[in-house]
Amino acid sequence: MAGSDRLTDSTAHGRDVPVFLGRPGPSAFHRLNPLTKATLATVTAIAAVALGGLVGPAVLVAAFVLVPAAAAGVLGRLLRLALLLALPIAVSAFLVNLFFFPGGQTELLRIGPIVATGEGLELALEILARILAISGAITLFYLTTRPAELVVDLERRGINPRVAFVANASVQTVPAMVERAAQITAAQRARGLDTEGSVWRRVRGIVPIVGPVILGSIAEVEERTMALEARGFTRPGRRTLLWAPADSGVESLVRWTLVLGLAALIAARIAGLTP
Amino acid sequence: MLVRWIAALVAFLVVGFLGITVVGDFGAETAGDSWAFVAAIALVVAFAVYAGIEYAQTGGFGSIARQFDMRTLALMPVAIAINIILGAAVANALKIPIYLDSIGTILVGVLAGPIPGALTGFVANILWQYVIPPPFQGAVAAPFAIVAAVIGLMAGLFGWAGWLRPRPNSSGTNLIIGAVVALAVVVGLALYAYTRFYGETFEFFNPDNADLLFTILGWLIAALFAAFVIGFVALLFVRRDLTVAYVTVAGMLTGVVAALISAPISANLFSGVTGSGTDFLVAAFRQAGSDIQTATFQQGLLSDPVDKLVTFFVVYLIVSAMARRTKARFPQGERLLEAGEVGPEDEGEWRGATA
Amino acid sequence: MTVRLAGVGYRYAGADRPSLLDVDLDLDDGTVVGVAGASEAGKTTLCLVVSGLAPRTVGGRIRGTMTLDGEDVDAWPMHRLSTRIGIGFQNPSTQLSQVSGTVFEEAAFGPMNLGLPRDEVVTRVWDALERMQIDGLADRDPSRLSGGQQQLVAMAGLLAMRPEHLVLDEPTAQLDPAGTQLVADAIARLAADGASILVAEQKTDLLAAVAQRVIVLDGGRVALHGRVEEVLADPRLLELGVAPPSAIRLRRAAEGAGLDPQALERVTARG
Repeated sequence: MAGSDRLTDSTAHGRDVPVFLGRPGPSAFHRLNPLTKATLATVTAIAAVALGGLVGPAVLVAAFVLVPAAAAGVLGRLLRLALLLALPIAVSAFLVNLFFFPGGQTELLRIGPIVATGEGLELALEILARILAISGAITLFYLTTRPAELVVDLERRGINPRVAFVANASVQTVPAMVERAAQITAAQRARGLDTEGSVWRRVRGIVPIVGPVILGSIAEVEERTMALEARGFTRPGRRTLLWAPADSGVESLVRWTLVLGLAALIAARIAGLTP
Repeated sequence: MLVRWIAALVAFLVVGFLGITVVGDFGAETAGDSWAFVAAIALVVAFAVYAGIEYAQTGGFGSIARQFDMRTLALMPVAIAINIILGAAVANALKIPIYLDSIGTILVGVLAGPIPGALTGFVANILWQYVIPPPFQGAVAAPFAIVAAVIGLMAGLFGWAGWLRPRPNSSGTNLIIGAVVALAVVVGLALYAYTRFYGETFEFFNPDNADLLFTILGWLIAALFAAFVIGFVALLFVRRDLTVAYVTVAGMLTGVVAALISAPISANLFSGVTGSGTDFLVAAFRQAGSDIQTATFQQGLLSDPVDKLVTFFVVYLIVSAMARRTKARFPQGERLLEAGEVGPEDEGEWRGATA
Repeated sequence: MTVRLAGVGYRYAGADRPSLLDVDLDLDDGTVVGVAGASEAGKTTLCLVVSGLAPRTVGGRIRGTMTLDGEDVDAWPMHRLSTRIGIGFQNPSTQLSQVSGTVFEEAAFGPMNLGLPRDEVVTRVWDALERMQIDGLADRDPSRLSGGQQQLVAMAGLLAMRPEHLVLDEPTAQLDPAGTQLVADAIARLAADGASILVAEQKTDLLAAVAQRVIVLDGGRVALHGRVEEVLADPRLLELGVAPPSAIRLRRAAEGAGLDPQALERVTARG
């Protein structure tokens, strides 16, 4: 099997890993290990829920979201994205809680049968703060981490390569499918499909688009399966990784501190020590 | 092997018991969904115990890994993408009180098995919130990952039991039995739900002025339900496919379980609000006097069964449209073929794959 | 390293008729064998059988023997066979792994799966990219490339696994003329370097340019086989549903019109 190699006659050896693989991020925060950033985001989000009230989440957001975002140079984008993301649910949560708080006593405003109550306002603000905290924390992760980095890091730590594959492939499939949907929409429009107009018409217009997108994607699964098997993906044993994000003992310590801190917070909350 | 199952069962019961005592009582009306939530957690722990013991016994995860052949792995990203794109489109663009974010999960469950289905749902929700870019990024998806996992699990079990096997040309007798059983389940659940959870909210007769809205809403829902029953019976007898009954029951059951598990998550984290069309319902129920937990549950018990019913039918359509050859190679694909559509036998020198 | 098929037949799962019957085929080192035939004649099936995907991944039933250097490969799992025989498909985009952000990583997908040491992976990938003359595209996103470029990336990914034989199932079928030219040139370069390729194609011009031997399938059986010049000039080609190469069509047209075919060839060769 070694012998003559007609298809790839290699003359040069010891070539370099290209520099564009695993290129480091622009700031120190970007260059943190993705697991650290994920832990930070998740702990912040859970802590915001556990703390309750307004002060707790606000402090959390300031310390664990805004400060790192500023340090990473993504503060502007973070504010814009996180607010956009949270907007629908924030508005909804605020209005629903403000006006529809069951058993509210302190009346603030009355519009026909609907009453805004003080207790409702309190809950509304609390939920708002919580949503913004969760949004902000996760958006910070999203802005400073490429998905492939996280998946490669997990794979290096021992996660099953098949799970890693599914995660990675999903991230790339979403834009590919959207593009396919756009193409099919254009094709259907050329055949006279009406995509403007009333909600009902738009809903009816969805079926001739969604149907081919879904069925076409599923039909491709057979080809993809063959291509993946032909490239040895089903081989048992370890895969080689070309690159992996750096990690350090300090970061590991930080991660554990965050997790243990969260556990302590939750325990304190259950025991009733915090408001 | 028996050891693993027994250990998993013991773990399930232990965690379940602990969970219920710790969580306590969410309020008499909604005790049911706190139990369901605890059950979901217990299920995850039981699965972990099962996997751990299998690993200790065999150094691998054979019985689980067998459900994850290359075809399943190639399908899962597609399914996850379908979940995310449709779910985001419905939540952001169409303000209707259903979700449509489980089509992929149920599809994988039915084709590949309970574990791949569960994993599809779980990973989809996590990715949806953490790494998918706007405009499809989900704002509240991650906490519901466990709900998605249970949905995938149930779909896998229904698929394994052959519930989505097409049964064309069913006899009249079978169709009638099927209709009766399915309607018994569906109407039974509806009536139970009504008396237990909605009776005070929806007064059908003798409303006073403040509750006129709810009377109308109640009649509307009752009318839709009646239309659904009629439509179901019509579809069953026109298509003469008994599987319509199976799919209906599967959708109903999955929807109820999903509502049970997701309500406490939604109520405790977000006071029942998710920024989608379902919030109107939540507001309405609160206005009627339900507390936060109950209102969330009341909304869920309306939205989820409808959502899962539609989803199961869509999946049945998709699977019916798939070529026989394509379906059959999936781990549970054979259970989706009509009885009698068996593969070619080995005859003489013709042999199948040995590797 | 010879791949030999003897009396091979194949039937897809659920099919009532076999798609291949009584196929004898030898793939020797350093030869390019073309497979021609009408659609549904069995070209793709033959490619799947030779690569091992049928019946391993695709299911179905096989008969006859397939040997690699005399060793029966019936019991070989797919991942073992994939290091000896590589296969490329028609659709450029479904061959992408969808887990690679760059062309380099895409081509590295195969060697990474094989668990080779990192330096070995890197060397193989650069070699393969240079072979396909796409090393300049190494940092590009594969999903953003043209169909022809994607096919080259797919082929580089196969070459990086250093197979002894390459099977290509209608590689230019879904490409525009520019892409077709790109891929045809790449295949010609590989052929000139002495690669061992089985290429199925409707475009007999391509086969005329790169193949040494050609077989023509009809209804799953081998209808014609032999040296490329003989087979592609065979008058039975048309009734088998295969369009002869344009050079031959031109010559026949010239003869039919009473023109001197050789003079015509001289003129067209210059252009």
